[in-house]
Amino acid sequence: MADVKTQDFFAASAVSIQDPILRQALIKVGTGFDGARLAAIKDVTPDTWEAWREEARRIKVHTLDHLDYYLDLLERNVTRSGGHVHFAADAAQANDIVASIAKSGKVKIATKGKSMVSEELSLNPVLESMGIEVFETDLGEYIIQLAGETPSHLVAPALHKTKEQVAQLFKDKLGLPWLESIEDMAKAAREVLREKFLIADMGVSGANFLVAETGTLAIITNEGNGRMCTSAPRIHVGITGMEKVIPSLQDLAVFLRLLPRAATGQRISSYVTMVTGPRRETDEDGPEEFHLVIVDNGRSKMLADPELREALYCIRCGACLNICPVYKKVGGHAYGWVYPGPIGAVVSPSLTGLKQSKDLPQASSLCGACREACPVRINIPRMLLHLRNNLAEGDDSQEKASGNAERFIARGFTKLMSSSIMLHLAHRMGRILQSPLLMLPLSPLAKGKTNKDSIGSAHLPLLSRWTRSKDLPSLPPRTFHEIWQNELYRSPKRDS
Amino acid sequence: MGKEEFLASVRRSLGRGAGPPEAIYPPLEQTAEVLDGQVREMRRHLEERLPQIIDRLAQVAEMQGWHVHRAVDPEEAIAAVLSIAGSLGIQNAVRTNQDVFDEIPLDIGASNWGLTITNASQNELFDRPGVRRSIIDADLGITGADYAVAETGSLVIVPRQGLSRLASLVPPVHVAIVRPQDVVETLDHVFLLRRLEYHRNGGEMGSYLNFITGPSRTADIEQTLVVGVHGPREAHMVLLG
Amino acid sequence: MTQHSTIKASLFATCIVDQIYPQVGVSTVRVLRNLGVDVDFPPDQTCCGQPLYNSGFHRGAKELAVRVLDSFQASDYVVVPSGSCAAMMRVFYLDLFHDQPDLLRRVEQMAPRTYEFSQFLVQVLGVTDTGSSFPSKATYHPSCHLLREMGVRGEPLELLSQVSNLELVDLPQAENCCGFGGSFSIKFPHISEGMLDDKISSVETSGANTLVSCDMGCLMHIGGGLSRRGISVQTRHLAQILDPDAG
Repeated sequence: MADVKTQDFFAASAVSIQDPILRQALIKVGTGFDGARLAAIKDVTPDTWEAWREEARRIKVHTLDHLDYYLDLLERNVTRSGGHVHFAADAAQANDIVASIAKSGKVKIATKGKSMVSEELSLNPVLESMGIEVFETDLGEYIIQLAGETPSHLVAPALHKTKEQVAQLFKDKLGLPWLESIEDMAKAAREVLREKFLIADMGVSGANFLVAETGTLAIITNEGNGRMCTSAPRIHVGITGMEKVIPSLQDLAVFLRLLPRAATGQRISSYVTMVTGPRRETDEDGPEEFHLVIVDNGRSKMLADPELREALYCIRCGACLNICPVYKKVGGHAYGWVYPGPIGAVVSPSLTGLKQSKDLPQASSLCGACREACPVRINIPRMLLHLRNNLAEGDDSQEKASGNAERFIARGFTKLMSSSIMLHLAHRMGRILQSPLLMLPLSPLAKGKTNKDSIGSAHLPLLSRWTRSKDLPSLPPRTFHEIWQNELYRSPKRDS
Repeated sequence: MGKEEFLASVRRSLGRGAGPPEAIYPPLEQTAEVLDGQVREMRRHLEERLPQIIDRLAQVAEMQGWHVHRAVDPEEAIAAVLSIAGSLGIQNAVRTNQDVFDEIPLDIGASNWGLTITNASQNELFDRPGVRRSIIDADLGITGADYAVAETGSLVIVPRQGLSRLASLVPPVHVAIVRPQDVVETLDHVFLLRRLEYHRNGGEMGSYLNFITGPSRTADIEQTLVVGVHGPREAHMVLLG
Repeated sequence: MTQHSTIKASLFATCIVDQIYPQVGVSTVRVLRNLGVDVDFPPDQTCCGQPLYNSGFHRGAKELAVRVLDSFQASDYVVVPSGSCAAMMRVFYLDLFHDQPDLLRRVEQMAPRTYEFSQFLVQVLGVTDTGSSFPSKATYHPSCHLLREMGVRGEPLELLSQVSNLELVDLPQAENCCGFGGSFSIKFPHISEGMLDDKISSVETSGANTLVSCDMGCLMHIGGGLSRRGISVQTRHLAQILDPDAG
């Protein structure tokens, strides 16, 4: 399984937030992808868009509620069409399955389309250890493969790279001359990979949707590499999470309307490719073997939790990333595992362990923009709150991770707010304690403040996380309770 | 892990035993007869509004990156294809063995224009490697369309005997000839037709299908759109009607 | 200006207003009384429990929520000068007590009577003009829970547009979160500060000299940032703008 670095979120985000190149790229995500999404939605009436979201969610709710039935139907229909279906409980099993297919098929060269699940599995090193050359063919994935990095976005894996960095990579790793324009780089990738496509023994793809009714795997792409990987080699292996099933081919329509618009602002992508088994006897070309590898890897745990199940409705469009103010400050790598952004903050802890990923569900102001943007109406903030509850009060020792200090403060706050008298006394104490801090300019603790009613010192413990960048208001001479008791309870005469 | 074990684990997560949903999902109940009726209804609807739908297809396809060439008859269609090839200096093309080429006899006039059109099918070229070689050598792939969808400006191609997967993918330029009878209005129409095919044949609709909408693209570097990556960089639609 | 002399409403001041910004509570009461509302203040109230709920401490949050349910049991209306606290009471209490039917019933009775301040003025009293004047160039920051959980979008703007001598200007990217998020600002200060930087840029771009919001959490955060940078933009809760006797 891919390395888990979710525990490094705080430190990693503190570094990434300072990166000027990443900052520019992330600003572009807002005006680019998110702007395009909004424009594409305006293309249809609000009622239409909402009706599509409603329908898509309904389909996902139904399917996941009966996932066993639809997986069974899917398997029977893929098998009927001449394909092979393999079930993998976890990453290790999935890798074994693909390795064994590659071994039987005497595979020397493999081309890969985009598959986030294969990132979860960390499949490439497994194949490479068998002596197989693996080529990522999605341009973004190819770039990060050359760079030895992981994807930083669900849809545009290399968006953190400048074109100069790409040109340098192509020069260093491919021996190409320095390329000035992005067109030239795309052309170079086309030339280099064209040969690989046509000599590859095995093509690996992901799956956007699996249609149970017909045993069909559907992928939504733009570059043409997905078509190449599923057409040119002898063997096609589709790797997928088990949650990608939809019941009927008819259901595909609404998802084709939602996903491209939400992801990149397109009415539809350049290509939608549907695979139903290997080539037929009379086909002119196409793979001789089709394998579908269906992976659990912790998804059944999410399925079992009624609060987390809806994270499995995700269609991996990236809209939540593109609108998230946190993602757009820290970028994808800080999240420390395969899935970044709001959906990642739910999925990564759920699949790899909440305790070590405890920062992820907490690194959110709960603004709710992700929920607004999600084409399937996934209530991400609700799930973040659920995970926070598990962290604070979970039964499972695997999950409970809130620190002693935090629990102490929470208990203290509860006690304080449970007693009007205590609260009143606390306010009085606070007013007394703060007076040295308010004295200008004599107090050494007055450093950094700009007005007499605020507390500006950076030296206060805990509060320093606030006061290091912002003034803190001082406590007023009377609480509202006191003002009410002394004056306001009497209704003043009304102006005539 | 075996299938039964995997499904048992899923059922445990769902907290229940094996069994279908209480109510069968409506589309899955539809037989070939039912679908056939829906298709006939769809065809009636299309017939009534075909000229507007074709216009809409042309408009949306253009928006989606196709170069659209309208043609009133086979002669104009042939002229359009030859002119595309001529303007790009293309001398070597492949085509599929679809029946559109019986109506639009491209091959006849092509050689006069310095354009070699090879029928990339095993019928003509004897074996699959032969078919592949001819496609790799070509600068232009010419196909028909199994369907053309006005809603999205897309072609649908269903590879099969006489219709290679690679013909519309490998050459840098793709020209597709679309006839009025290929045109449908929505994505729902396409899936309805495929489902009829599937159920009418007892569960078979072919191994592959592509929706093609314009040239190949990427925005992976600096989120900047670039046209022409692994698929064709130019996509032309010759639209009859 | 409509007079609703029979409407009785209870004020839920919220802990931040009670403890730190009592003048917002004073203005809220004055505005409501000017509009003929009979305002009372159940004295046992303290906090809606949101800070605990948001940090995952449901047990403590429930204790405080029960106290709220007790305080406002007899109220016809509960008016809250905070979008996030109103959302807690109207939306999240349902979640908090989903498995406790008796308390859930009490929440279901209180929730429909609970309104955020601007929502109450426009939707219940039918008022958009409170007859106030506030000479300023003002811009409005919609707080996230008010906007998204409560669905209150236009009401504050309608109220502001009727204030005499107030020039209302757009806030660029208004719907972007300011970065407060309660404990988020303490747990992830670098990210919170980054979001605040963007919000302050927007405020500066707007050209306003006054920033208005319906949530003191946001204003404490944004105001604290403006003040530290020496930017002379004042922050006001909507109630203070609508209160003819406030400054």
